Amino acid sequence: MAVDLSTLDIDAIIRAEARSRRRGAWKIGLGVLLSLVWVVPFWFLFLTIFKSTEEYAAGNPLALPQGVAPFLDNVRRAWELGGMGQAMLNSALYGTVGAGAAVFIAAMAAFALSRLDLPRRDAWFLLIFAGTVFPFQMYLIPLFFGYQWAGLLNSRVGMCLFYTAICIPFPVLVLRTYMNGLSREMDEAARMDGAREFTVFFRVVLPNVTGPMAAVFLLQFTWIWNDLLFSTILANRPETRSIMNALLVFQGSYSQQGPNIVMTGALLASIPTVVLFFLLRRRFMEGLRVS
Amino acid sequence: MTPASDQNAALLARIGIDRIRAQETARRRRAFRRALPFLAPATLFVVVFLLLPVGYNVWLSFTRWQRFQGWDEFAGLANYFRLAGNPFFGRALANTAMWVGASIVFPIAIGLALAMFFRRMPGQEMFKTVIFLPRILAPTAVGVMWFYVYAPDGLLNRGLSLFTDEPVRIGWLFSEATITPAMIATFVWQTCGLVMVLLLLGLAAIPRDPLEAARIDGATPLQIFRHITLPLLAPTLVMVTILSVLAGFTVFDLIWVMGSSYPQQRTLSLAVFMYFEAFQKSGWAFGAAVAVVIGLVVLVVTWAQTVWQARVERRLR
Repeated sequence: MAVDLSTLDIDAIIRAEARSRRRGAWKIGLGVLLSLVWVVPFWFLFLTIFKSTEEYAAGNPLALPQGVAPFLDNVRRAWELGGMGQAMLNSALYGTVGAGAAVFIAAMAAFALSRLDLPRRDAWFLLIFAGTVFPFQMYLIPLFFGYQWAGLLNSRVGMCLFYTAICIPFPVLVLRTYMNGLSREMDEAARMDGAREFTVFFRVVLPNVTGPMAAVFLLQFTWIWNDLLFSTILANRPETRSIMNALLVFQGSYSQQGPNIVMTGALLASIPTVVLFFLLRRRFMEGLRVS
Repeated sequence: MTPASDQNAALLARIGIDRIRAQETARRRRAFRRALPFLAPATLFVVVFLLLPVGYNVWLSFTRWQRFQGWDEFAGLANYFRLAGNPFFGRALANTAMWVGASIVFPIAIGLALAMFFRRMPGQEMFKTVIFLPRILAPTAVGVMWFYVYAPDGLLNRGLSLFTDEPVRIGWLFSEATITPAMIATFVWQTCGLVMVLLLLGLAAIPRDPLEAARIDGATPLQIFRHITLPLLAPTLVMVTILSVLAGFTVFDLIWVMGSSYPQQRTLSLAVFMYFEAFQKSGWAFGAAVAVVIGLVVLVVTWAQTVWQARVERRLR
């Protein structure tokens, strides 16, 4: 379509363009300002970990550090005094075993709930899903008594068992939805060929839900890594406590050591999940979307 | 026997209804047996570690159980009556109400404003990541960090001192008037990012046609927001509000870390009150009663969400 340029007010168009670009620039400026306000605490953390205790006490918290040398010392002291190494190993174990076992067990349950001809399917689903309805406070006292009775208090096995249990219902919900969406013809074809249900599960269904499984595994792993409450109650010993519990204990007993060391500890405790998040951001967001 | 029912019985016998029913029962039993190996592990874990404890907790709240004294006796509602008269419980309840109120208003309002603001901005991904960043950190680490922001010689007081002649030395986390608002500010800082991301997902799902139509009809941006965007966003807003309320109601880690030097920590929220009574004072049955109260509130909120969500979705259709 030809346009008669003489009928257009070119100047007006150029002016409108410039105005909208100016507005865009103004908006970006405001956005940058907002982000800056948002990251001030991080900036504070970032500066503090490079300061010695004396330097922190003497100067402005937002003053640049005099050098980066105290950083290694802070890390060493947080690591040793806070028992971070052991605690991180514990949390890595709880997170991997707990979230891994939970997602696998949840996938099996979701298979039964979505692709097998199960009588009273909704009742079974509600029974499992009931595990997410109650607040954590209702689990604490009975778990503490039960673990004491069973000798599971302060044991790694006990922690893995509980984390597995609490991480099951949510993946069941997510994976059931995904499995409902898969075509049923493959199952039937495999069954016609005489495959047993376990073969159908492992060979046909499982390979099709690895994406969602990875997403919920990441969410559950992060939840376990960040959990403070259950480790405080069920495993409050240096050998078995989780990383967040160790951080809390460190803050409580070593606050006289200086904020620089405790904040270095907080950073160390956060690194694994933050790195995981940035490496697998897409999967995380996928997990968020399905939740 | 009347002739009619006689006829019916004969008919049923000819179809073999009993046989069909027996076959159906057998088929269901077979199907159940096939599904059981897949279903059993998840069910067992959930029942043993989650549902049985909840039941035991409810039962415990009606007893006078004291640790080291063993089983005492059924006490009816005695623990709940004690609760009603406990001054610390009253203050914990008031503070929790403040948490709930703040978690309805601030994360939603700020999250929505941020979502609208960043929605069509170039470089949106980067801004989104920055606002979302606090959410990635564990509440414990956030609590530790902000503990030093609020410390008497911490970041906030140093910042305020720039505007005053004398150095400001407010103990934000040491006085009743400031501690809960201070912690709520941290909570809002941490949760806004998630609210924003969820609302952006909701905004992206809004069809463009009504927006375009309204713009062509000369509606102002505010009118479009008020009469088109907001109603279409309602289901997401309901979901996010409930999530936020539940998070604000049961928040524990943040208060446990940031309030660790506050002398009357147990009054800071119901969850902390429950922990304190049970695990530090060994008032197990009493603590169980507090847990039941928390559970009841959560159940009511969850139920309200189901009703509310259904109503909003019906209205949209």
